[in-house]
Amino acid sequence: MEQRLANCWRLTVNEKKFIESALLSDVRVDGRGPLDYRKLNIKFGKNDGSAEVQLGETRVMSYVSAQLVQPYRDRPNEGTLSIFTEFSPMADPSFEPGRPGESAVELGRIIDRGLRESRAIDTESLCILSAKLVWAIRVDIHILDNAGNLVDAANIAALASLLTFRRPECSLGGEDGQQVVVHPPEVREPLPLIIHHLPVAVTFGYFSNENLVVLDPTYHEEAVMTGRMTATLNANGDVCAIQKPGGQEISHRVIMHCLRLAHVKAGDMTAKIKDAVEKHNTERALQKIKRHSSSVAVDVCGTTASLGGKQNQSDGDKEGSRLDQLKLKDETKSMECDATSSAQVQSNKKDGSSKNFVGGPSSWDPYSDCVNSDLLKASLASRGHSTPSKKKDSRRETKPEEPQNEVKIDSAPMDTALTSGQSNEGKTLKDAVKPKHKRKKKKGSSNNAN
Amino acid sequence: MESKSSGSATNLVDQLVYPGDVVLDLSSMTNQTIKLGGGLRQDCDVISVMKAGRLRFSKPNKYWVESSQKRYVPHAEDSVLGIVVDSRSDNFLVDIKGPAIAFLPVLAFEGGTRRNIPKFEVGALLYVRVVKANPGMNPELSCTDASGKAGEYGVLKEGYMFECSTGLSRMLLSSPTCPVLDTLGKKLSFEIAVGLNGRVWVIASSPPTTIIVANALINSEPLSGVQQKIMAEKLLQRVQ
Repeated sequence: MEQRLANCWRLTVNEKKFIESALLSDVRVDGRGPLDYRKLNIKFGKNDGSAEVQLGETRVMSYVSAQLVQPYRDRPNEGTLSIFTEFSPMADPSFEPGRPGESAVELGRIIDRGLRESRAIDTESLCILSAKLVWAIRVDIHILDNAGNLVDAANIAALASLLTFRRPECSLGGEDGQQVVVHPPEVREPLPLIIHHLPVAVTFGYFSNENLVVLDPTYHEEAVMTGRMTATLNANGDVCAIQKPGGQEISHRVIMHCLRLAHVKAGDMTAKIKDAVEKHNTERALQKIKRHSSSVAVDVCGTTASLGGKQNQSDGDKEGSRLDQLKLKDETKSMECDATSSAQVQSNKKDGSSKNFVGGPSSWDPYSDCVNSDLLKASLASRGHSTPSKKKDSRRETKPEEPQNEVKIDSAPMDTALTSGQSNEGKTLKDAVKPKHKRKKKKGSSNNAN
Repeated sequence: MESKSSGSATNLVDQLVYPGDVVLDLSSMTNQTIKLGGGLRQDCDVISVMKAGRLRFSKPNKYWVESSQKRYVPHAEDSVLGIVVDSRSDNFLVDIKGPAIAFLPVLAFEGGTRRNIPKFEVGALLYVRVVKANPGMNPELSCTDASGKAGEYGVLKEGYMFECSTGLSRMLLSSPTCPVLDTLGKKLSFEIAVGLNGRVWVIASSPPTTIIVANALINSEPLSGVQQKIMAEKLLQRVQ
């Protein structure tokens, strides 16, 4: 019996008194303010759909996988989403291996409720054959290190992994159209999940003094606090779920205050998650392009010829691959690529088959990721303002004038862009083989033409 | 450093050694008494390393391996910080971060008799001395020094305790005083109690000061002496 007593962490009365008295002076033991989050770091694994989140010292890993199953009888047109949690004993001496304990089940339920009740994941798009085959998405959350506030960290990990997960593309075939063919990733680019919004969980801790509220409690604070509440909101301010498991009673005034705080924090967190996912996606696309940079010749004519063959593939992340080109090659080459890709756009327009807007070189790159529709809409909307969008930031690495030029072209509305774009692109194509300074002048004159 | 050749020990003193390294070749040294501390073992004619760490030597003839880890292995005559877990009729059960719970006899206090047994609540923090620590047995503690005087042993009230590695505890207890304590002590007034089991207790006039000191100490572990001074000075500048 005494052996078991030796292995747990204990709270001293000194620590309990100190944490509460420090909070009365608005300081926390690690130097944070009461409403500050710890440092957040999101890392992605090699596979699609694997993410590791570090919130201070707390580490959580999440992995998403999908399987074709029969749907539930009362929902024949919807796929399913299920969350599994594993509290690894290496995270905390009090975690036992085997069946999930109470806190593991609670954590899984909070994340599940946040995603399911708010319908953040579009399950109808997961249906392949109504009443026969649907995708079942499974999220496995592993706790690697418990330093407090597992719920928030696990939620972020689940969201990050769902955003980067790609499921294989399927098509119906066979004589009766009932046979499902699942395409392996080498044959057809896998598709992302359709995620409408990101429900972010924000955890509050309450102490015996009613006015003390902390955000993102650490391990020691969790041992000292008398009540907790987790509010799951998205950046729009919709409350997706609230969990207050017993503990000290809180007045409704405090709860409303906390919900308002949670709204602000959810906005921050959503931006951070989206940034990290975007960076990861562009890196991945970069890697795929680098693999073929030897085959994509620097010679302009050669590029045009090879591009022509890949004209028909219309999917792809237009901004992403454009970014990649710019980063990858030096200025002259990137100009050429733009020229050729814009030639591509031009020819596409001639065909009338493209749904590309101006500045969409994506059609020739079969290896880039599928476009995330939300991101695409957001970036297209932001184009109109020609404000420094995310893509512009990365383009600053290349010539500064060039992105301005492109953004300018992009900012024109679609119809006029089609015509003016063509004429502009026509000029730059001819100039593609000419020395740089002349191209600058031409771009300047095309600017004036605009 | 990792050479398996049995050089004389002077090559390896203050170097990192790994299990299996041969530190001393006894056949080449005659009529000498060598004292071996933790982490070393005698294999016939050679002394080899059992635990990874730094080899230390103290005149005239003591060798031992020092390593920093989160686990504490109790040794006699160590001063540690313990947390009271339970009280029995004849001793208190105190957790000292070791493999087994330690016993603190109720009479092991200065002037302790059956009539004035102190009352400790569960979770009280004590500064105690390890009297006996045999492997496999529960260690025995005492709140007096070897001569029976209380000294600074006893219950620690208020303040804040944090856990650290054994290496940091030893660094904070080293003499001359560790640079971070020196620099902090010039501007702030605080009191610390360092347990060799990887627990440190800090108290200062106000909670923010206590927090500054605690964080400075925690962050000073991987830094060298000069870096510690710089870190502490920067921290103090930011605060004042």
